[in-house]
Amino acid sequence: MLSVQTWSPFRPSAFAGLVHYEELLFHDEVFWTSLWNTVVFMASSPLAIALALGLALLVDTRIRGRGIYRAIIFLSYPLMTVAVGVIWRWLYDEKVGLINYVLLSLGVTRRPIAFLDSYEWAMPSVVVAAVWQIVGFFMVILLAGLQNIPPNLQEAAALDGASAWQRFRSITLPLLRPAIFLCLMIGIINSFTSFDLIYVMTGGGPNHATEVLITYIYRSAFVLSKFDYAAALTVVLFVFLLALTWLANRATGGEAGAVDAAE
Amino acid sequence: MRRSRAAVVHGALVVVSAAMLVPFYWVLKTSLTGENIFQYPPALLPRAIHPFYYVDVWYGIPFVRYLTNSVIVSAIAVASNLVCNALAAYALTLRFRGQRAVILVLLSCMLIPFQATIIPAYLITKELHLLNSHLGLALPLCSTIVCIFVFKASFDAVPRSLIDAARIDGLPEWRIIRHVMLPLSTSAVATTVILSFVWSWNSFLWPLIVVRDPQRQTLPLGLSTFLSYMENTTGALYAFCIMVLVPGMVLFLLEQRRFIEGLTSGATKG
Repeated sequence: MLSVQTWSPFRPSAFAGLVHYEELLFHDEVFWTSLWNTVVFMASSPLAIALALGLALLVDTRIRGRGIYRAIIFLSYPLMTVAVGVIWRWLYDEKVGLINYVLLSLGVTRRPIAFLDSYEWAMPSVVVAAVWQIVGFFMVILLAGLQNIPPNLQEAAALDGASAWQRFRSITLPLLRPAIFLCLMIGIINSFTSFDLIYVMTGGGPNHATEVLITYIYRSAFVLSKFDYAAALTVVLFVFLLALTWLANRATGGEAGAVDAAE
Repeated sequence: MRRSRAAVVHGALVVVSAAMLVPFYWVLKTSLTGENIFQYPPALLPRAIHPFYYVDVWYGIPFVRYLTNSVIVSAIAVASNLVCNALAAYALTLRFRGQRAVILVLLSCMLIPFQATIIPAYLITKELHLLNSHLGLALPLCSTIVCIFVFKASFDAVPRSLIDAARIDGLPEWRIIRHVMLPLSTSAVATTVILSFVWSWNSFLWPLIVVRDPQRQTLPLGLSTFLSYMENTTGALYAFCIMVLVPGMVLFLLEQRRFIEGLTSGATKG
């Protein structure tokens, strides 16, 4: 995979050695913050997948209008993320945002919360918006997986007296593994690439609270003009991506390979 | 018993659907009334609807220019996606040495997100002197591996005898693609058009990097620029937002089935 990349980590023609990596690992706090935030962002994808799985099970039942529900839930995925960011900024607005209004009316809080400007709330707020956008996509993938499970398996188990929960645990979940794994992979890649949403909603702030690797790379290269440093960051991002893919692959017993090789 | 279960399912789905739709409603309402920007508590239902902000966006900012840029870039991307991916896919349906290796490389490249390669991509585009140009904007979107495999799956389904017959009739390879393969793969063509359109239409990070000239900004860039000097204080921002969202939404609603099929088949093949 690496071989197809044409990056040049040390662009200034002089060989810089590992200087950038040294700076990055030992002297750059923002790097560690952004790495941590990326991990937090990534940790939100199991949540999104669980949510999507619930939705997929609901939509999979034979009820009227499920096509409409599916369309509505999926609708947010193909939309321009920049616009989605603008929408959520508006919902989160401190003074007149809908979310604050609802929270105040329900008496959950006394004072309006400045979601995107507060150190504690900025990250969860962005994560909620990200989950909102992607949950429909996960749902559609899981739904495709659900519909591939032969119904006679369920029926046989039901005849054998297995409860709904038992059937879910021992038939649906194992057979859904490839689909779940796929969602997980997409979630992982996504956590390294969700630039648009964060850029529009918070710009990485306040005080790097929502800085993730990709926004930091952007800032290093194109705002601070430190291309070589950004390239070093990119390499780090890449290594992480590879390692995670490999780990995920191991964890699922090489099933990813099966997905990969399904030409 | 069954009734009540269906009711519970409906209830849950209605709640979720509402959660998915409320953000749109809220923004649409603001764009039509300008309410809530300075008013508290916010009104839940719109009053005094007027299209003023839409007119404002159309004339007040270079909306038409953004739109033209976006359309040009998307058109380049879609056209070249069709051509490149169809050619690549056709090549992959033929038997040749190292074919498996090529397929493996393509498959593993699919896991590399474009964002991980922006620095080299930027440097290459700079060397090509394509910064600030439509072509430069469209270049990284010009071929997507997912679509190659969508095409390949469809080409593989074309009976060999048909291709052989065309060869015996003396058709050159490119005409086989043009007159035999493509007409038989309308579904793959549609999927490619839809996906590449949506991707190029929505792309933001790349234009943000490549375009410095305001004359060349695309819609997402225009929106974010507008946001950066307006903050949250005008209905025009939300009108802009809605106008930008509409093409994607319409496309999705019209071609929903194909859209979802394309995405899931692309994803599961990956």
